[in-house]
Amino acid sequence: MYGLELIDVSKSYGATPVLDRVSLAMPPREFVAFLGPSGSGKSTLLRIIAGLESLDGGEVRLDGARIDHLAPGARGIAMVFQNYALYPHMTVRENMAFGLANAKVPGDEIARRIAQAAEILEITGQLDKKPAQMSGGQRQRVAIGRAIVKQPRLFLLDEPLSNLDAALRNRTRLELAQLRERVDAGMIMVTHDQAEAMTLADRIVIINDRRIQQVGTPAEVYARPANAFVARFVGSPAMAMVPATVAGAEGGRVRVRLAEGATLLTAVPADGLPEGAAVEVGLRPEHVRLAAPAGEGLPARVDLVERLGDRTYLYARLAAGPEIIAHAPGFSPVRSGEAVHLAIDAAAAHIFAADGTAHHPGARP
Amino acid sequence: MNARRLSPLATVLLLIGAAIMLAPMLWTLLLSFKSNAALMADSGAALAPPWTLENYAAILQGSLTMQWLVNSLIVATGATVGVLVLSSLAGYGFARLEFPFRRTLFVIVLLGLAVPEQAVILPRHQLFAMLGLHNSYPGLILPSLTGSFGVFFMTQYFRAIPKELDEAAMLDGASRFTLFWKVLLPLTIPAQATLGVFTFLAAWNDYWWPLISATTSDYFTLTVGLASAQMNYAQTSGLGFLMAQAVFASIPILIVYILFQKQIVRAMAGAAVR
Amino acid sequence: MAWRERLAGYAFVGPFLAVYAAVLVVPLVMGLYISLNNADLFGQREWVGLDNYAQALGDPVLHQAFGNTVLLALLIVPPLTAIALLLALALNRPGRFAAVLRGVFFSSLVLSVTIVTLIWRFILVPDAGLIAEGLEAVGRTPIPFLSDPDLVIPAIAVTTLWWSLGFPVMLLLAGLQQVPGDIYEAAALDGASRWTVLRRITLPAIRRTLLLVVMLQTAAQLQIFGQAQLLTGGGPGGASRTIVLYIFEVSFGRWELGYATAIAELLFGMILTLTLLQYWLVTRHEEPRA
Repeated sequence: MYGLELIDVSKSYGATPVLDRVSLAMPPREFVAFLGPSGSGKSTLLRIIAGLESLDGGEVRLDGARIDHLAPGARGIAMVFQNYALYPHMTVRENMAFGLANAKVPGDEIARRIAQAAEILEITGQLDKKPAQMSGGQRQRVAIGRAIVKQPRLFLLDEPLSNLDAALRNRTRLELAQLRERVDAGMIMVTHDQAEAMTLADRIVIINDRRIQQVGTPAEVYARPANAFVARFVGSPAMAMVPATVAGAEGGRVRVRLAEGATLLTAVPADGLPEGAAVEVGLRPEHVRLAAPAGEGLPARVDLVERLGDRTYLYARLAAGPEIIAHAPGFSPVRSGEAVHLAIDAAAAHIFAADGTAHHPGARP
Repeated sequence: MNARRLSPLATVLLLIGAAIMLAPMLWTLLLSFKSNAALMADSGAALAPPWTLENYAAILQGSLTMQWLVNSLIVATGATVGVLVLSSLAGYGFARLEFPFRRTLFVIVLLGLAVPEQAVILPRHQLFAMLGLHNSYPGLILPSLTGSFGVFFMTQYFRAIPKELDEAAMLDGASRFTLFWKVLLPLTIPAQATLGVFTFLAAWNDYWWPLISATTSDYFTLTVGLASAQMNYAQTSGLGFLMAQAVFASIPILIVYILFQKQIVRAMAGAAVR
Repeated sequence: MAWRERLAGYAFVGPFLAVYAAVLVVPLVMGLYISLNNADLFGQREWVGLDNYAQALGDPVLHQAFGNTVLLALLIVPPLTAIALLLALALNRPGRFAAVLRGVFFSSLVLSVTIVTLIWRFILVPDAGLIAEGLEAVGRTPIPFLSDPDLVIPAIAVTTLWWSLGFPVMLLLAGLQQVPGDIYEAAALDGASRWTVLRRITLPAIRRTLLLVVMLQTAAQLQIFGQAQLLTGGGPGGASRTIVLYIFEVSFGRWELGYATAIAELLFGMILTLTLLQYWLVTRHEEPRA
């Protein structure tokens, strides 16, 4: 039996469509991330699930029953807002009790649940304080606590990490992962940060341009992106897209020719990629290295060098102009403006046809 | 804010100005401490002892002034409560709820800000006469409840509260009224204080309407009563007593001023920052 | 579900709107109707169309009242604005002294018109008045401020100035505090003199507040009623009768409700036009606000 189901959900604001026939089936107890750029519709989708927005078409079901006509408070769903939305004039305890009191839960049960949640979130000492007296991280935990005590069937998290500074973000990421283990409910997190989605979610739903682009585990969307958009969006630094033409097939695998004439033999099956077709070759930085011995490989000029300590990214341009990103271990001595030669692991390359469809490398021969 | 110190000339001018502001009130105060007889004999007597409390005693011993005080209290309090309730309800409705003609109705309310008293007060007098509302507390209170400023003010204040709170409350299963009563309304307390003080002052000091609506002296408010006393003082009560009445009438309002100075300033300043 | 929200909407704004309609809108409309009638206070009506308005425009008493009212406004609004501006500039500083002074200058605001006129009567009156006492003390004769036709209007003007000072000062202070402090710092770095700063930076920044002050005060002073009624009774010989006082006399003295209402509507129209004119004159050169 499915947890959350979205069936052909559509929404428009006036004449502007925002979501177009979005469908999704999410097993119970799964942690799903809605990932996409701003304006993609992911927040709207979350709000539709919560009942804060109406939908124009389709259905939303939870555990088999339709919920899209129910009031937000009647859906068994709890939400942690991006800015926490704590009631400023109430203490933490009152904040957490409010929803339960409205549902006419008996007082001793309310007290029990609050005490339990406070212990899990380590805010037992804060229960009689008001939100204004607490730090941002503490407030977020109160917001989470407010959601936990309702014992919902589904948790919705709206950009939970984007308000936090870097150090707090890492810590909260851990806490969310721990939380996930403790609660017996599904979780949906909306984020525009692909690293957050990759590290926390069981499955990622990539949304762009009003539609779902791909649904898959982090490994799947990383290794086999369904289209050029997903390929560029997931992974940091982004995958480089180098324009090329199909030069022919060898042993069933596609050989592509780059603009400057060099060719690469990929591991992508040739079906559906006729000779002469204009395509883009997708290369992740970890598959582009400095050629050794130097002098062989594709010539390129380095524009920008990013040294991160354990690795260096070289942002370069190939001879004919396209950008490419190379990975070098440790602190690379390469400087901006230098001419280098790049070795490409062509067997790891993806090919994206002109219509955006993705062709992935098959098993290595 | 200017950080520079005031020049000596500016300081002197300011002090003179302050003296001019305070002198009339001090003079009144002094006069109130002289018996009527002493003042009839020599009007300059106020500047020298003996001073007496007999005028105040006369007021407290059940003169009509006490009744006027009670009336003012009832009318001003009634107006304040009424305005706060109506403006809060309407402010929430205009700020947060969707219903047909909402914008039109709001504009109609705003237009009320432009209507001066004289355009309405005479026909209102007729209307109330037809309804038998003169010489009654409702008759004195109702006109204060039509103030558009209160609705405008509360609407702006509700609008400024983040909508996320509404959404969180909805997810917490709160009904519309619970949302209003338990979540949003408590957050408007500063605005209520400001609007309340403002309304209280305006209702207390109102002159024209109570003048024509309360024609029997037991329904006079302090403001109106003092006017009638002013006209008749020579015959009836005497200068000292009259001044004592004036001071007496000022005390409640000065207390409110001292206690709520911040709210008053904020209400008036709010009008400037539109 | 949407209809429930609509119903809730009406339920919340309904009570206010009901009172508003019954006690403001209805009289407003009634007023227009009454002004087209010869009506008295007891309900008698007789349609006369625009006769009341014609009569008003030709009424010499109204002309005198009109002149008095305009003169009062001219005597009050410019000095009031100027003094209020100076006070606001001087008192816009931190510290106890300024705070106390602000309190003093605001204090007259909270008094009602009857208290104010009572206080000032006994400043201005030739027997027992404070000014009279002072003059006698230096051997001069008291001046009959409230009974000399040439002095009554200035007397009312001074009383009103004393009473009304606080509100413009408050508004201007609020406006001044809205001006970001770094503008002044930039001016200091540009070597601007205090006069230049005042003229080129401060005044333009509080333009809108100044406009608000002038608009509100003009409207208010054109409606002066209590001071005229209580200090001088409109006399002597109508020398200090204001328009609103005349309205009062016509309706509650002569019981000519229709005529009085017509004059009231004329005053309303005049104030509205003047306010809009002031607004347009000052803002026509401004860029449209976001």
